[in-house]
Amino acid sequence: MNYAMVKRLILKDWYLQRWAILASLAGIVATLGIIATGGKVAFLIGLILLIMVIISIGAQMAVATIVMERKEQTLPFVMSLPISYREYTASKIWGNLLIFLVPWLTMVLGSCGLLLWSPSSRGLLPYAVVMSTEILLSTCLILAVALITESQGWTVAAIMVGNLAVNGLGYLVAHIAGIAKGMWGSTIQWSGAASALLLGEFTTIALLLGLTSFVQSKKRNFL
Amino acid sequence: MNGLSVHFEGVSKTYPHFTLDNLSLELPTGTIMGLIGANGAGKSTTIRILMGLVHQDQGRVDVLGREMPREQAAAKLDIGYVSEDMRLYAPATLAWHMKLIRSIYPRWDQPYADTLLRRFDLKSHQKIKGLSHGQRVKAALLLALARRPRLLVLDEPTTGLDPVARQEVLAELMAVLADEDRTILFSSHNTLDVEQISDQITFIDRGRIIASDNKEMFLDRWRRLRLALLPDAVLPSLSGVVEVGGSGRLPVLVTDRFDPAMVSVCNDAGATVQAVDPMTLEEIFVANVHSRREKQSV
Repeated sequence: MNYAMVKRLILKDWYLQRWAILASLAGIVATLGIIATGGKVAFLIGLILLIMVIISIGAQMAVATIVMERKEQTLPFVMSLPISYREYTASKIWGNLLIFLVPWLTMVLGSCGLLLWSPSSRGLLPYAVVMSTEILLSTCLILAVALITESQGWTVAAIMVGNLAVNGLGYLVAHIAGIAKGMWGSTIQWSGAASALLLGEFTTIALLLGLTSFVQSKKRNFL
Repeated sequence: MNGLSVHFEGVSKTYPHFTLDNLSLELPTGTIMGLIGANGAGKSTTIRILMGLVHQDQGRVDVLGREMPREQAAAKLDIGYVSEDMRLYAPATLAWHMKLIRSIYPRWDQPYADTLLRRFDLKSHQKIKGLSHGQRVKAALLLALARRPRLLVLDEPTTGLDPVARQEVLAELMAVLADEDRTILFSSHNTLDVEQISDQITFIDRGRIIASDNKEMFLDRWRRLRLALLPDAVLPSLSGVVEVGGSGRLPVLVTDRFDPAMVSVCNDAGATVQAVDPMTLEEIFVANVHSRREKQSV
């Protein structure tokens, strides 16, 4: 693996998507600001906007750096560089993850900070961590579908499935006894259910990305 | 000349509606090969296999001593590739692209890049999205040439260019040819472009190489003979006739093995040779394709 080339390709995507990254960061800071104002309505509006911004940036990165690369015919330029498809795949997986982790970590740390800051909502922390990881998982699903299919249609379908999964799982997770029990309390009650959910999410992410690398390594036509 | 830059041996690739069939090709170092074929003949597939972007189902491909597609990353360090379907990043400037390529290729030649900028009338600070199609092709060519590749692979680079831009691109390619160690593979369906710069010509049709030879050999061997038959005379049997046209008394023969002795053979048989016309590469290509297709259909 030519790590120097992988790094250059990641930096290339980073540079080309710099305005989208900055816009998402600004969006996340603004929505955290709305939540911090304290009202119940502000909390709900801020939360909805926060989820919208973070899901959008994950989807935007996959579409812009993978699907559009093929659609706008910049893929032949990239593949003319001294890289193999393995290095191309690695650069897309790590590049997209690293780019997404910037707004995602801002969101996770900001949300956790706000929950810890307000004593009455500390009990929500396990739920927030599980759901933030679910958003990361949903983004990895979009990334995997975009890389494997390189199709706009399939990627849009994956975005929709990812969105539905976040909403559906949000409801289900909130009704798991181990999570629901201390959710509205003022103390953090980290349960075995929360740990199991997190482990399941990170395992699924690893499997998803591993499967993506495997499928990519079996491809025989890149243009 | 020193060895082979490109070597295809028994290469096949099957798609649902197209097959590249048992292709063998040699490109000696320092030569300029023109790959001519109609749209869909297999030129781009051949070039993509050469670049390691498409994996062959069968056969062996070596490029600059590297086995493809296994060693494509190492091989591409010495290859400059421009294709008709290649685009640069629209929101970035040409300067950004030059910086990217410079950081990858150790042989990047900045003074030469600056020369090409002036020669192609390009502005490095201009964003790619603001360039015309001709300027984009020139920009891609600049990025390929200034990395000083040992092998330049050009897949229909002049398609869609206006005559002025096309001539500028071809002129630059001809200037590049001064370097004896530089090998170029140039594919096009425009035979005029290929004729201008190539010294080796390969015709490809329906996924098969139908002829490959020195350009001068093609131009020397192929002739069109315009005959006038005397009453009761029959068309003489000549070797290498690939096409017989014209009317009954005024036949026109196309041969791929012209010999001046053919004229006397015709005259002796009662067929007066009114003219022996040289053929353009396009005419040779078309006659070659027709002749092969007719043989296949028989």
